[in-house]
Amino acid sequence: MDPLTLGAFVAIATVLILVAGIPVAVGLLITASAFIAIFDGPGALEELPYKFFSQLDNFALLSIPMFVIMGAAIASTRAGADLYEALERWLTRVPGGLVISNLGACALFAAMSGSSPATCAAIGKMGIPEMRRRGFPDGVAAGSIAAGGTLGILIPPSVTMIVYGIATDTSIGRLFLAGVLPGLLLVGLFMVWSLYATWAAGQGGEALTRRIYSRAEKFEVLPRVLPFLAIILAVLFVLYGGVATPSETAAPGALLCVLFAVVIYRMYSFTAIWGVLRDSTRESVMILFIIGAAGVYSYMLSSLFITQEIAAWIGSLEIGRWWLMGVINLFLLVAGFFLPPVAVILMAAPILLPIVTTAGFDPYWFAVVLTINMEIGLISPPVGLNLYVINGIAPDISLRTILVGSVPYVLCMVLAIVILCAFPGLATWLPDLVMGPAIGGI
Amino acid sequence: AELKLSHQWSTSDVRHKIAEIVAEEVAAADVDLEIKIYPSKSLFKPREQYRPLSTGRLDMTVFPLSYAGGERPEYNLTLMPGLVKNHDHAARLNESAFMDEIEALMAEDDVMVLVHGYLAGGFGGKDRCITSPDDVQGMQTRAAGKAFEQMLAAAGASIASMASSEIYTAMQTGVLDAANTSSSSFVSYRLYEQISCYTPAGDVALWFMYQPMLMNKSTFEGLTPEQQAALRAGAAKAEAYYLEEAKKADAESARVFEENGAEIVQMSQEDFDAWRAIAKESSYKAFLESVPDGQRLLDLALAVE
Amino acid sequence: MSHALPTGTDKPRPETRLQRLVGALSTVSGVCSATMIAAAVLITCQMVVVRYVLNGSTIWQTEAVTYLMIAATLLGLPYVQRRRGHVQVDLIPEMLPRGARRVLAAITLALAVAMIGLMAWHSYDVWKLHFDRGWRSGTAWDVKLWVPYLAMPVGFGLYLLQLIADFAAEIAPPPEAR
Ligand code: NA
Ligand code: NA
Repeated sequence: MDPLTLGAFVAIATVLILVAGIPVAVGLLITASAFIAIFDGPGALEELPYKFFSQLDNFALLSIPMFVIMGAAIASTRAGADLYEALERWLTRVPGGLVISNLGACALFAAMSGSSPATCAAIGKMGIPEMRRRGFPDGVAAGSIAAGGTLGILIPPSVTMIVYGIATDTSIGRLFLAGVLPGLLLVGLFMVWSLYATWAAGQGGEALTRRIYSRAEKFEVLPRVLPFLAIILAVLFVLYGGVATPSETAAPGALLCVLFAVVIYRMYSFTAIWGVLRDSTRESVMILFIIGAAGVYSYMLSSLFITQEIAAWIGSLEIGRWWLMGVINLFLLVAGFFLPPVAVILMAAPILLPIVTTAGFDPYWFAVVLTINMEIGLISPPVGLNLYVINGIAPDISLRTILVGSVPYVLCMVLAIVILCAFPGLATWLPDLVMGPAIGGI
Repeated sequence: AELKLSHQWSTSDVRHKIAEIVAEEVAAADVDLEIKIYPSKSLFKPREQYRPLSTGRLDMTVFPLSYAGGERPEYNLTLMPGLVKNHDHAARLNESAFMDEIEALMAEDDVMVLVHGYLAGGFGGKDRCITSPDDVQGMQTRAAGKAFEQMLAAAGASIASMASSEIYTAMQTGVLDAANTSSSSFVSYRLYEQISCYTPAGDVALWFMYQPMLMNKSTFEGLTPEQQAALRAGAAKAEAYYLEEAKKADAESARVFEENGAEIVQMSQEDFDAWRAIAKESSYKAFLESVPDGQRLLDLALAVE
Repeated sequence: MSHALPTGTDKPRPETRLQRLVGALSTVSGVCSATMIAAAVLITCQMVVVRYVLNGSTIWQTEAVTYLMIAATLLGLPYVQRRRGHVQVDLIPEMLPRGARRVLAAITLALAVAMIGLMAWHSYDVWKLHFDRGWRSGTAWDVKLWVPYLAMPVGFGLYLLQLIADFAAEIAPPPEAR
């Protein structure tokens, strides 16, 4: 059977097994084993544990649990609420300050957390009830936090950027920098939409009323947010100041955030600290299991020459580079609907990167486009981690409302991709500025 | 029939080229044999390849043999400081009794050599030049290979371990002061942008790594005589090319560094002897402790003129 | 909707004594996993201090941390399964009527049991091979590889037990759950 036909069978089998409701990692393992057993012989199944182990045998993966711990430690405190409260008090002159503040807090929090669900939960726990109390429509309250939470994987540090760096041998330090400006662009688009939607829902009157805070009220919240900035600066110093390599940076970052929670938020009880570690372990193990299984799956694709043939086939398509990028985006979008970001990146990046760079696109720019696609997947069914988190923290908002409320933010992300295509410099300017031009295209 | 060949390098690397030469020669011989190349660690990770090769899951690989030093500690001799002096010496080593012993060990694992080949490497310092052992005092150094880590540590350097893809950033931010790796890695990772002084492999060089093309022995023996002959012919052509390119790579790396404004220094015979004296007390010693039959193998290697 | 519980909703379910025992094993395994992650954080910080502050050699840390993370992943599997934390696509199951949904759940659990059983079995072979041959990592630290490889049969084995317990609960729930 020719590899492309075989690839189609693999794709169908994967979708069928995944929609049956099996854990994604196990589904990938089953599909991979079935095709390995059929085409390389059952004896080849002895390679499974080796491929699983070797996929995880990578020091850089350490940063995944570390960046998750950073987020979880801070999310376990009142810090998220303090953050948007401080922003609101200082942004009194901006109409709709509360939703603006919440989105701003999401962006700041994303700068300390590598994962999206953590960002979502940290800000949403207090932010969503507060927004609803002040008269924001449910869809805006839930949608803005769901979307704002996805910034966790675009604004550095980012778990998906680390996995992309590993899968493509690109510099993690550069990848992190590439996400900064596009992250800010997205926050801006989210803010504009939130204000418009609130005004259009006729709830502008109450929700968008400015609240005036006294100078004392403004300064009172400052000490509570300065440590945030201190942590961000400390991590940047460790990362770009010659203290540690990008993959090591996460560990001092995690330790700092736990200390921050203990010292500033008086999280003295062992149970609370253990809770942080337990939640981080759960999320990290879930992600790392998928990474290990995706390693086995990619081995199957590569061994059966499917990866290589798909790449050759896409490369042979006689279409312009922007059509090519459009097709790739569509593919990523659909894959992102069904699969968690790390699985998509591990399987797609090695196939797509050579095609993308041959077509003259920058690998760091592409990482950003890919990540925004993955962010869309996080707030769209059927696998939308952030929707689930919102459902967990605001159970009385119907899933339908959350979903419908998220749709405009998905459109904002699509718009961001279009803007990035028009102005690739948004992704490449900052890494070039800080680290010099990219090394030989990578 | 179809053979799977795996390696870790990009398609522009010389080690991919020798795989291509063999594959093309075999295809041209029209003996119903096809070699499928899986480059850029797309099938197996670099250090992972020896085991599937020996079980026959993988048919062929281009592989730094010392990567399998955990399975066969004797292989550590194929990346030992000062054991090989230059490329012609390396070529003579390939034909020696020492290599016969190494190949006998491979045969125990059902592995055989198709193409012999050594690649050389040098040292690069971010701010300072490295020629003699005194130069590395207190430098955070990333070395390629266990034996070199042991020697550099004995010379007073601090050892930092990281993936070779991280060297550039680590030097840029100042985590790392010096690196020791192959000539081609110095160029492909664009380390000349970070390194102010480069010590290439020249008339004498410390860092030589044996990176042959290997094949599963049973698989080879299962082929028809015509197929075997075609493989052998391709391998002979590839081996000649490999040696030429290996020599060129050192000079080429020095040229690239010079063009980019790095200072180029050469290691003298006295420097070489000083390094080897330190290596004897550190990496050679550790090797002899880990391998019962080590002294005999070492003597065989040192006997090659 | 998707089903992954970073925020967690641990509904207590009626369980038989055996299922409780398996659950306890999974929890212990999860505690080991979390401890290993904490240890990895501290070792990495130690490595940064040794190199940046003391300008010393850091030989064993990268490797130790990598193996700790692998072991943490594997030992975390049964715990995450017990907490229903493995992400999955619940689109079709949620559209099905209750009866059909339970049949589908039993089938997917049986498939998972078979798959993880296969992994556990082959992992044991891998571990045994490395143990018998005494293979090492070949680095300056030169760890005996059977030690990190041990995490595979143990992790997949405990995960298998938890899956079997869940499967049993699905096809024959304890009386009070009916
Ligand atoms: Na982030
Ligand atoms: Na989705």
